[in-house]
Formats: sequence, C-alpha cells, structure tokens
Amino acid sequence: MFPYYKPADIEALNRQAVTLLKLFAEHGYAREEPSVLQPAALFLDRSGEEIRRRTFTLTDPSGRDLALRPDLTIPIAKTLVEEARPLPARVSYNGPVFRHEPNAPEKPVQFFQAGIELLGADDRAGGDAEILTIAIAAVRAAGLTDFTLRMGDLGLFGALVDDLELPAHWRSRLKRHFWRPGYVETLLTRIGHGDETSRLPQEAREIEALLDVQGEAPLAGRTRAEIIARARAEVSEVLKLDGNVAGAITRLLDISAPIETALADIRALLKTAGASLDAELAAVEARLAVLKALGVDPARITFTAHFGRSMEYYTGFVFELRSADGATELAGGGRYDNLLELLGAPKPVTAVGCALHTERLLSAITGAA
Amino acid sequence: MTTNSSLALAIPSKGRLKEKCDETFAAAGIRLEQSNARGYRATISGLPGVEVMLLSASEIASALLAGDIHLGITGEDLLRESAPEIEGRIALVKKLDFGFADVVVAVSNAWIDVSTMADLDDVCAAYAAQHKKRLRVATKYAHITRGFFAHNGIADYRIVPSAGATEGALAAGTAEVIVDITTTGATLRDNGLKILDDGVILKSQATLAASLTAEWDAETRGVCATLLGKLGADFMLPLPHL
Repeated sequence: MFPYYKPADIEALNRQAVTLLKLFAEHGYAREEPSVLQPAALFLDRSGEEIRRRTFTLTDPSGRDLALRPDLTIPIAKTLVEEARPLPARVSYNGPVFRHEPNAPEKPVQFFQAGIELLGADDRAGGDAEILTIAIAAVRAAGLTDFTLRMGDLGLFGALVDDLELPAHWRSRLKRHFWRPGYVETLLTRIGHGDETSRLPQEAREIEALLDVQGEAPLAGRTRAEIIARARAEVSEVLKLDGNVAGAITRLLDISAPIETALADIRALLKTAGASLDAELAAVEARLAVLKALGVDPARITFTAHFGRSMEYYTGFVFELRSADGATELAGGGRYDNLLELLGAPKPVTAVGCALHTERLLSAITGAA
Repeated sequence: MTTNSSLALAIPSKGRLKEKCDETFAAAGIRLEQSNARGYRATISGLPGVEVMLLSASEIASALLAGDIHLGITGEDLLRESAPEIEGRIALVKKLDFGFADVVVAVSNAWIDVSTMADLDDVCAAYAAQHKKRLRVATKYAHITRGFFAHNGIADYRIVPSAGATEGALAAGTAEVIVDITTTGATLRDNGLKILDDGVILKSQATLAASLTAEWDAETRGVCATLLGKLGADFMLPLPHL
C-alpha cells in the first residue's frame, strides 16, 4: 500500500513529532538525519534475512547498488563509527523508512519512525532503564494512556547456553539460532540424543593427509590451519548434554506469561535443572522495578523467553510497546551490542535504542483504524 | 506483446532447449509455421488464435511474471529466480522431461570439514567473527540463494552477482562459496568443488508455465485448454477474481 498524507494527517504527524523530539532533546538526545538513499551493502551485508528481504534496492545510473533505508539505526551507527564520535553518544531521529511487504499488500511500503539510540554507555542496566523510561514517557507525551508491553532478554538464553558442557561451536550454534522458531529445540533434541558422528578420521595426520590430497582445490578465504582446527574440533566433540537439561531449556523457551508469573516459572525450572541465572534474572527484575516506578501495571507486561524480535542484531534486552489489546506494535527496541563492531568500530561498543511507529501511535490515540 | 484475444505462447529461441521443445511439440502433433522471415514469430497449423514467440529462456520467465504472455516454456530455475514469490503470479503447468539441471551449493574440496549446510553455517559465523566481513557467495541465482540460506538459518554471508563462469569464482578469489547449476557435476569437480550433502536447492527441468497475471478471456482460455490437451497437461486455470 502506498500511503497518501492529507493536510490533517500531516498536521497531526508534525505536531506529534514536535512533542516527541522535544522530549528526546530534554533527555539529551539531539536529532540527526541520514539520507533516505544509502549504499545497499550497508543493509544487505550486515542485516539478517528479515531486513534483507524487506529492503528496497535500486541501481543508480552509474551502476552502484543503493537501498531506501529500512531503518535509521544502521546509517546513524555507521556514521558515528566513521566519525569516531566521543562516547557515550545520544542521538534521536524522525523520518520515513521503507519496507517491502511481500505477503501483506495492505501494509504501507513507507512509514515514519521516531527513535533514539544510546551508544557507548558502559552501564548496561542504566542504559536499558533510560531507553525504557524515555519510550514510555514518549508514548504518554503523545497522548497514549493505555498500552501493554512485551519483553524478553536474549542474555538469559545466552547465559544458560554458556553454562552447558558443550563444545564452543555448539554453544555458538545454539545462540546464533535463538531467533529461529523451532530450530533451537531441534538442535537440543539432537544434542540430547548424542547421535552426532563425524565422518572425519581421528588422527591429526590423517586429517592433514586428507587436505593434502586436495592439493589444487582453492582454500577459499580460510587458512589451512583454520580448516584443520575445525576438522579436529568436529572429531573430538563429545555431546553429553543431560536430557533433563535439554528438556528444561526447551520448556524455558516456551514460557510466555505476565512478567511476575514468568519469572517465578523460570526460577522453578532452573531449580529442577540445577542451573542458576541470578545476574540475568536480577537485570530483568531491575527493569520491572523501573516500569513499576513509572506506574505501569505488571499485569500488563508479558515476558516471553523466546522473544528475540525478528531482527538478528539484538543481543540482550528487547521490548515491544503494544496497543491496549496487544494487537498492534507501536514501538520497539532493545540492546544490540555487536552492531557497531560489525560496522567497523575498532572495539565493542554498547548500544541500546528504540523506535516508535508514529502513524500507528497516532491511530491508537485517536481511535482511528 | 499480446494482441487482441490471441493466446501468446513463448518458446526458447535457441540451443538445446529449442531443439527439445521442437521434439516435444512434434510428438504432440503440434506443427509450427514461421510467420516472419527472421523466425521470431510463428503460428500453429490447425490451431488459430495462438501467437508463438521465440524468446530467450530468461526473457520468457520475466514475460510470464509481467503477464506479457499467457504461456511459456523455460527452466524452472529461471522461473523461481524471476521473483522471490511466484505463487499467485505464475503456475507451473507441466514438467517436460528435458533441460535437467540442479541448482546447488558448492564449496572447495579443500574444506574437508564442511559437508552440510549446518557446517557451512558454522563456517560463515566463524568467518564473520574472525574477519569482520561476510563470506561471499557467487551466483546468478540471488533470489533462490537468499531463500535457501534463510531456510537453513544462515545469515552471515553476502551475495556476489556472477555474470558467467561462476565455477571459477573461488579460483579467481572473488567468492568463497558458489550457488550454480550443474547437470553431471563434472565442471564443479574439474574446478575442485563439491556439492554439499543437503545443498541441492532445486532439481530443475524445462517447464510449461502459465502467467496468472496475463489477461485471460473466454477465448484465450478456450485455446489454452485445447493446446494443453494436445500437450497432455492436466491443468485447470484458476478462475479470474471478479
């Protein structure tokens, strides 16, 4: 669907934008605006498939591949990395983004997003609380009184997997596929049954001999040492995950309930599996305390353990602010601590932010469809 | 391309596909009569109302997608590559038992530790973490590759479009992995490449396809039914949305 904005729509959106940007500015977030057209590689090389297949690309008359920005987070983060901006940095934005909707022709191909990014703040708990607080303040300033929240934390699953007695590449495999519905469960079942057998020989020199036979075949970007190291790791891998633990993780991923119930369920489950996630659960509780202090009813907050959102760059806390009936996502955000390094930062830079879908927010407030 | 109420059928204009196409038509008792000197247009004797066009195999795929022709014969690989979602736009009517080719994921034989898509996923992630850039996949099949890699949960890669001789990309140092078509696998073997165990994306063959976005009226539907009957295709066009 191609949206068309009439005078009243423009007036309402502008008025709302002024309110939101003023609030962001009061919290120290100054507005910046990357161009609508961006090099396609910026999104295609670094985003997961979900963003990739929804990005409009085009070729300019000189043959360069360009994209209509599907979000403002990536171009803003890229600019801050390139300019080596002093950190922490606080940036706000408001502008149109473009998303291809292959299976939902009724959804608009372009819409406005207003948002904030907090980059390079070392205190993660403080950063999460700041973003959550401003997001709630923003929708309230816009006039929304009733809403629900959905929260998750990729750190919970990550910490749980880190504690497992598994080869490192199996741990990273599990974490990497967190966002794939059903696949993690399949992997866990496979590990639980321990039926992985390698076709490679046991002896190191036999592995080297196998590679030597390939003489002419290109190494294709990897070193001989890299290939041998991975082959040896495959051979030596012993998968001995306790079936009870695998089962407990699967059940944990199924938990989705009002946050206080969910936390109790997670604690009970961890106890039976003999695991503990005290630091991670404390972080979730700290966020709950922030929300309570803001007057948000805990019964209106759903905690979903398997909630990683569909964009793979999130690494920790994630949230969605939804309409009162939960049907429409109005704002969303979370922590993406790996993105800036992927964009070329010389060392890891913490990052957390959120974006508001301003047109849906307006509809939710005015009661329009 | 279509003129008033005649059924537009496109067939390959050259090569093996054209020869095999001619054989299939001959076996079905369909005789083409060239209607212009340069041989890019024809009619079918005894079956008025069909306008036959000779186009390149990839032109046929995009013409079907755009609704410029009603029916076309081309490779399923090209049809699937023409758009990420062909459902509702192109109907695959009949596989024609020629033009066999597999679209496959292939890596270097030197990657002795990689034999499945799950292995490739590990290597992609390790490569991205170590080199801070993504592994390159050379292919002419960007859409098919994206869909298959997504299905296998692989995100850490990027596609390098390949204009020709994709199998040489590794030796040339322009990519680390390829997605290409193969019939016997000999070209891949000659280039030191192997197909992953679960890396056959599509077993393609020449396919008679119908455009669902073309303008179908009672007349073209009638001619289509006759033609498909001759070709032994058991297919009913979906009714138009009213």
